[in-house]
Amino acid sequence: MRQRAIVAALTRRELSARYRGGALGYLWSLLNPLLLLGVYAVVFQLLFRPRADVAPYALFLFGGILAWGFVSASLLDASETFRAHGPLLRKTTAAPEVFPASAVAARLTHLALALPVLLGAIAYFAWRGEARPTAALLQLPIVLALLALAVFGLSLAVSSLSVIFGDVRDIVSNLLTLLFFLTPVLYPASAVPERFRFALWINPFAPFLTGVHACAFEFRAVAPAQWAQMAAVAAAALLLGGAVFERLRDAVVEEA
Amino acid sequence: MAGPAIRLTGVSKLYRRRDRGAGWGSLKSALVSARPGRAGEGAVPALTDVSFAIAPGEVVGVIGANGSGKSTLLRLLAGVHRPTRGTVEVSGRVAALLELGAGFHPEISGRENVEIAGLLAGLSRRQIRERFDAIVAFAELEEFLDAPVKTYSSGMTVRLGFAIAAHTDASVYLVDEVLAVGDEAFQRRSLEKFAELERDGATIVLVSHDLGLVAGRCRRALWLDRGTLAADGPAGETVARYRDRVASRESSRREAAGTPPPGARVGSGAVRILAARLRDASGDETRRLPAGRAASIELELEAHGRVEDLVYGVALSTVAGVTVLATNTKLDGVFLPPLAGRALASLEIPSLDLSPGVYSLDVAAHAADGSPYDYWRDALRFEVTAAGPGAGLWSPPRTWRIVPAGSGRR
Repeated sequence: MRQRAIVAALTRRELSARYRGGALGYLWSLLNPLLLLGVYAVVFQLLFRPRADVAPYALFLFGGILAWGFVSASLLDASETFRAHGPLLRKTTAAPEVFPASAVAARLTHLALALPVLLGAIAYFAWRGEARPTAALLQLPIVLALLALAVFGLSLAVSSLSVIFGDVRDIVSNLLTLLFFLTPVLYPASAVPERFRFALWINPFAPFLTGVHACAFEFRAVAPAQWAQMAAVAAAALLLGGAVFERLRDAVVEEA
Repeated sequence: MAGPAIRLTGVSKLYRRRDRGAGWGSLKSALVSARPGRAGEGAVPALTDVSFAIAPGEVVGVIGANGSGKSTLLRLLAGVHRPTRGTVEVSGRVAALLELGAGFHPEISGRENVEIAGLLAGLSRRQIRERFDAIVAFAELEEFLDAPVKTYSSGMTVRLGFAIAAHTDASVYLVDEVLAVGDEAFQRRSLEKFAELERDGATIVLVSHDLGLVAGRCRRALWLDRGTLAADGPAGETVARYRDRVASRESSRREAAGTPPPGARVGSGAVRILAARLRDASGDETRRLPAGRAASIELELEAHGRVEDLVYGVALSTVAGVTVLATNTKLDGVFLPPLAGRALASLEIPSLDLSPGVYSLDVAAHAADGSPYDYWRDALRFEVTAAGPGAGLWSPPRTWRIVPAGSGRR
């Protein structure tokens, strides 16, 4: 209970500190994805011709980029959170988990604030007759919630490892760059040749991105097998992250 | 309320030594090398087998040299760190005044920081709202509440940290060298606050290098020496024992380094000071003197030829450079016969009314106009030990007389 209040307060602090300097404040949360969407729309409608079966490509890309952005920003923030909060960590009896949790929560809030822009984009493309949204869209929050659980699990591991090893952030950021291309963000999972499909099965983020594409682009319900896959990844990430964190807990408090 | 507020049983704490760059500094090298270092290897003991109990309402000082484990002890009591062996039991809510002011977020306002710090200190949202005004008033930050903490001075930050910790209704307060920071007024107010908490029955554990404070404020003191409990008893006694130990270590180190201490000497050399000595009440040469007893400073002098224009001088100062006494034979109206060959001069002090501490002695032989024959700076250092409590340089014999007010006398 107390930990929840602390996570909430830390998250608010994270957000308010981030926007304190700018006159536009929270508007940046909306403006950022809006600009991104504008750039995609221009580039992929006018400059590149994407595959004909993924149209409108800007909309396809937008959902995936938002979800991936959440994953990558959360894990990078997590890799710094203990060091950044070292002085607090060394004097408080609050559970150290609250710091990675609030890092992820702050990024999740950004994602939530960007969703209206996604909805607006869907409405726009529907109005032009290029998209046909259905009730499947309502599954998007569930997909994102499962993704957030998985990311929280991984962030526990990343944040505690980063206390002990100096190069965790570099490793994480390189892995994320690599994974960005190995995960269906720029392309749909269906575009992956049959003999490489296994790569999607070992990539923990693939089911979530495919899930986002299903409910926010193709507007069809997520298949039960895929739900199971997402739940399994989330559970595994939480277990793994929890175990790594528990093992390094003392080191985190003493050395951050 | 039965049972101690704090009980440590056989507590040891090891910190793993991890050198950055070497050993397993990077995950890559840890993955590449077959077996990275394991816990236990290269561990540094911070505390070894420490046991004690503190009753509710006790005010206990913790003293010891740097690195003796004082801060580790507080962190264990606060529950921030966990002991490697043994058990730490603390009953009641704990307020840890460690690294006050650290941990505030610089970009957000004092107001928002109070809320977060309060939550982290264990207050509920409602408790924070209720105490908010008292906290802000204590920190004297009413006007700056909505400014980001990065615009605060370090003193303001510390005041805010203290104010929050002091308003947590804790039953156990852990205080780490807090009073060393902040200005006079703030120090006084924090001491008042502690006195108030003490009256309310709070248990206070105070880590400090200010031995006068520990002796004056605490009834009991723990002395940690390289991670072990070297003494546990009445504060005055423990402080005196600690001082004795520090002084003897100091003097043996100085002896090992070769006496006399290298002091700068200037002068024409017409008169040389061959030796400067300190003698105690019984006339024995010493470097350690009890406060409040007789002492004398003795100079052994030698003139080349016959010197008529002659003044002997001594100056006492603290090692920090504050002059305690500066005088000479001329100022004191002493007539010196002309010097040819050797002589002994001694300055006798019936009662050395100095507070405990290390002092430095300058001695000089010079002409009446001040031009030196031999000015010997820092000719020797000595330690004044023990005697009663109190802080400051001067510790004369004294009595207090209290007259009831309104008895007609002004």
